[in-house]
Amino acid sequence: MPEAATIQTPAVEGAPRLSPAAQQLQARLAATPPPHARATDAARTDALDRLSAQGLPGPRDEYWRYTDPAPFNTQAPDPIALDAASGDPTLFAGVDKLRLVFVDGRFDAAASDELSLAGVEIAPLSQADAQPDHWVGDAYGALEKQGQSPAARPFAALNTAIATDGAVIRVTGRAARPVQILYRRSDPAADVTIHHVLRLEAGADLTLLENGLVGARGNIVIEADLAPGAQLHHVAAHRAGVPRVSNIHLFGRVAEGASLKSFALSVDGRHLRTESVIELLGDDAVAHVACAMLGDGTSVHQDDTVFITHTGLRGESRQVFKKVLKNGATGVFQGKILVRPGAQKTDGYQISQALLLDENSQFLAKPELEIYADDVKCSHGSTTGALDETALFYLRSRGVPRERAVVLLVLSFLADALEEVEDEALRAEIADRLEEWLTARAKG
Amino acid sequence: MLQINNLHVALEDEDKQILKGVTLTVPAGQVHAIMGPNGSGKSTLSYVLSGRDGYEVTEGQATLEGHDLLEMEPEERAAAGLFLAFQYPVEIPGVGNMTFLRTAVNAQRKARGEDELSAGEFLKLVRERAKALDIDAEMLKRPVNVGFSGGEKKRNEILQMAMLEPRMCILDETDSGLDVDAMRLVAQGVNALRAPDRSFLVITHYQRLLDHIVPDVVHIMNDGRIVKSGGPELALEVEQNGYADILAEVADA
Amino acid sequence: MTVQDAPEIEVREGVDRETVETVASMGSYKYGWDTEIEMEYAPKGLNEDIVRLISQKNEEPEWMTEWRLAAFRRWQTMTEPSWAMLNYPEIDFQDQYYYARPKSMAVRPKSLDEVDPKLLATYEKLGIPLREQEILAGVEGADAAPADVRRVAVDAVFDSVSVGTTFQDELAKAGVIFCPISEAIRKHPELVKKYLGSVVPQSDNYYATLNSAVFSDGSFVYVPPGVRCPMELSTYFRINAENTGQFERTLIIADKGSYVSYLEGCTAPKRDTAQLHAAVVEIVILEDAEVKYSTVQNWFPGDEEGRGGIYNFVTKRADCREPRAKVMWTQVETGSAITWKYPSCILRGEESQGEFYSIAITNNMQQADTGTKMIHLGKNTRSRIVSKGISAGQAQNTYRGLVSMHPRATDSRNYTQCDSLLIGDRCGAHTVPYIEVKNSSSRVEHEATTSKVDEDQLFYCRARGMDEEEAVALVVNGFCRDVLQALPMEFAMEAQALVAISLEGSVG
Repeated sequence: MPEAATIQTPAVEGAPRLSPAAQQLQARLAATPPPHARATDAARTDALDRLSAQGLPGPRDEYWRYTDPAPFNTQAPDPIALDAASGDPTLFAGVDKLRLVFVDGRFDAAASDELSLAGVEIAPLSQADAQPDHWVGDAYGALEKQGQSPAARPFAALNTAIATDGAVIRVTGRAARPVQILYRRSDPAADVTIHHVLRLEAGADLTLLENGLVGARGNIVIEADLAPGAQLHHVAAHRAGVPRVSNIHLFGRVAEGASLKSFALSVDGRHLRTESVIELLGDDAVAHVACAMLGDGTSVHQDDTVFITHTGLRGESRQVFKKVLKNGATGVFQGKILVRPGAQKTDGYQISQALLLDENSQFLAKPELEIYADDVKCSHGSTTGALDETALFYLRSRGVPRERAVVLLVLSFLADALEEVEDEALRAEIADRLEEWLTARAKG
Repeated sequence: MLQINNLHVALEDEDKQILKGVTLTVPAGQVHAIMGPNGSGKSTLSYVLSGRDGYEVTEGQATLEGHDLLEMEPEERAAAGLFLAFQYPVEIPGVGNMTFLRTAVNAQRKARGEDELSAGEFLKLVRERAKALDIDAEMLKRPVNVGFSGGEKKRNEILQMAMLEPRMCILDETDSGLDVDAMRLVAQGVNALRAPDRSFLVITHYQRLLDHIVPDVVHIMNDGRIVKSGGPELALEVEQNGYADILAEVADA
Repeated sequence: MTVQDAPEIEVREGVDRETVETVASMGSYKYGWDTEIEMEYAPKGLNEDIVRLISQKNEEPEWMTEWRLAAFRRWQTMTEPSWAMLNYPEIDFQDQYYYARPKSMAVRPKSLDEVDPKLLATYEKLGIPLREQEILAGVEGADAAPADVRRVAVDAVFDSVSVGTTFQDELAKAGVIFCPISEAIRKHPELVKKYLGSVVPQSDNYYATLNSAVFSDGSFVYVPPGVRCPMELSTYFRINAENTGQFERTLIIADKGSYVSYLEGCTAPKRDTAQLHAAVVEIVILEDAEVKYSTVQNWFPGDEEGRGGIYNFVTKRADCREPRAKVMWTQVETGSAITWKYPSCILRGEESQGEFYSIAITNNMQQADTGTKMIHLGKNTRSRIVSKGISAGQAQNTYRGLVSMHPRATDSRNYTQCDSLLIGDRCGAHTVPYIEVKNSSSRVEHEATTSKVDEDQLFYCRARGMDEEEAVALVVNGFCRDVLQALPMEFAMEAQALVAISLEGSVG
């Protein structure tokens, strides 16, 4: 009997089991108490307690069925030579924005723009933390904690416990310019834990751009709390072409009439898991999560795990995930729509598609619906397959060379995900970048 | 222009012979029609000539202006001047019609060693040719064939033909699914492209398209062979008596 | 099906008139009566002695006893799985009878004529024909001359034993073996030894291992090469005794180029305490052979408050072992308090095909976690999954499925359509598909939707004079159409009627 013929989905064992790595972190924290009281101290202690109780995931953990948690938990990441991704990425370079620079996970004031933008309060976490009565003390870790149930996310708890820095942003009106978080490195082995806290007050509007290379390994948490009517547009593009290891969590809470839209461009990398955990708490709330992913090579393993909870009435959620895989790359999608009792008139949609460009790549998906309200419209679709030979022939019969035709068809495949970027200029820029990458790779 | 000699073709996957010795010559400037009942091999001929996968040529040759077509990749055949108007044009979501056309035009120009058209030149040309086919700016903006009606798809095929200016055009059941008005529009587009150095092979089941695109020669195809050739009157004969009579006559002969 | 004074009702396309008529003519769970009959039981509880006792009652050879004991020892080391979305009180496996048979069966009847008339009457009351006459199976009260007379051979299993199998002689003429598995173990040990446990190994899962240790009876089918089974085969399972688990085992072997269609039905009396049912079905399909396996599962679902009902833990698996083997599972799951069941296909042979059509209806406090596994191992294999889940009352209904394309299973295809319907705002409908694609030439498509019963359709029906329950039954039957069409005709009508009955009390 082949192993795969059995759906074995063991429950997480309840006993606390802290890996040696986590024990070491715990010991380090205990040995070096912070120099002064921090606003986030209570949240950090709580996170560490929770982490100790739940333990780190093991290989038999159902939520880690398709992705090995070990690389997020080794003592130190494999270094990535500094010249491997030297210089800032050109993506978003032309956008008029306020730029925050983090080097090896620490805020770099000199490299950043002046933190002044109408309708927006910005501070690095390291500074906000030093003010014991700063609002971040209440917000820090709150959504992360809520996002631990029903599925545990231990690396997010670990992040809350030990994050060194981050951006703390409160938006009260319409931000005049996008805020960019730009990651840089000075240490090839940088193992970065960074935690951003966003609070959008009623009616606020912010575009958050995030790119660069956070470190050889990155553990990033973003908590985004949206008050009624607020709008957050999040566009992330983590640095392509390097064997980065990263575990990213986006925790969102969306109040009445508010809207959270997040798009990620993900190109290569080594071992990546991005979890989006969003609750539509208020009525008429909206959440869109999308990703366009390109993976080339056996070392590429990229996992998108999404958990959307509908609590309010008439919520609308969309998940659009497109993965293009070649030369042995692995794509993973775990997406869930949970509709709580009473969340009537929910409109939940989810699509996950993989394009496998050769025989060796694989796509592993678990698109779930869990629904406890009847007046809902929920659907999900998932397809996996090779390029459409008929379309390829059509293009070639018009004189388009094969390589170019493949690029066009891959772009066609990704188009639905890109559509989720609302800003037309940003969308066009990302499309151009994708095309360049695809064209360069098609030759290689 | 196009020379097909004793062409035998089988399906790659199943050991099934579709074309059993097709011989056909289309001289420059002429319009030839191929008619035949369903399953006679008409569409297979168009696919094999344009290089679609899944067919195996077991015998025979096909040349375009002396160049061996069967040795070429599909895009090389296109650059050599071959164009197939598809029976079922393919939808490509996310790729704009304009982008598609421009990519195709410039790829062919490049393959022929010509300069690429500038954005301005290209735009001017498209607008002009689209207008003749009643294709509006909106249709040019939309993704390739996505959400197009049957008539719009076929007009779009002819627009591509007009833009790519091929030497040898194959129209595969271009009239299928078209009403009379749409067919007239398509036929006008094709007729406008008739020229002394351009040939057409019009594949159709019915005679009605040939009222609008009048052929020089009509071939009747059955069971993988050309069984009879003649002038336009042959098409009328099919229209009046159906295929059965002609096939019976051929069988007797 | 004929019903007197059929009401004049406008019937929408996709829904048969019978449904409407049946709703009017039938009550709720109508198989809930029991048969008063003298029974003999093995002592309560489970240990090696009980396993030996079951083996001895079945007059089994030593190798079979040892096979059971090995399974039992394995089972003792295992823990009950908890990953399904099912909530039920812990099962006390020692508080069950593992063997119960009517006293009259102590001496094996030589033919149906020797079977206790009370037992025969039980099946007659259930509408299961145990006489070898031409019947229209599955349709009761067929007083008019049936239009399409078909014969069905029946193996009737009552608690732990098979009480009789019809048409055995006629089937034997065609070379088909159809008998209780207890008999097959004695008479056809070479076939049983070769195939038993070859699809569902002893160690497969907790319930299958338990079954391997304690199965008491079930059906055995062998269709020889090139034979198209001359009639449909069926097994009817009846649980009658209280506090008794039923553990049946079915083994079907379709040799090269053969064909068989197999039907399975199940009912049990209304009892206040839950009862355990853990079955294993293994199907082996060789080159160019085809098996259709249809189930109408109508175990007692428990009452409106969730008291009683059958806990149904079933492992069903077909192994398309050789090229171009084909299997089709069709199931209509309307009964049981708890359903845990994933009829699966191992597509090992090149160009083999697996299909799974399922209707699962849960009402009141019922819970179902059911679906399938399509394991593509061979090249050019095809599979199709159509699942329709309907939830009403406070019920929870989960589709759980796996589609796996192995690296070697090139050029394969899967299509999955998985729809859920919710009736009322206190129930739940869940979809948990696993999709694992490890080669690029295969194509996998999965679609799932969840919605409520269409208000416009309901209104349309009611405007034509139907009451709300009739209207719901009608619309739900339309929703299930794709699956109903996959059933053999005999079962399709019974299934339509069941859909209507299962949803009684779900509206208003």
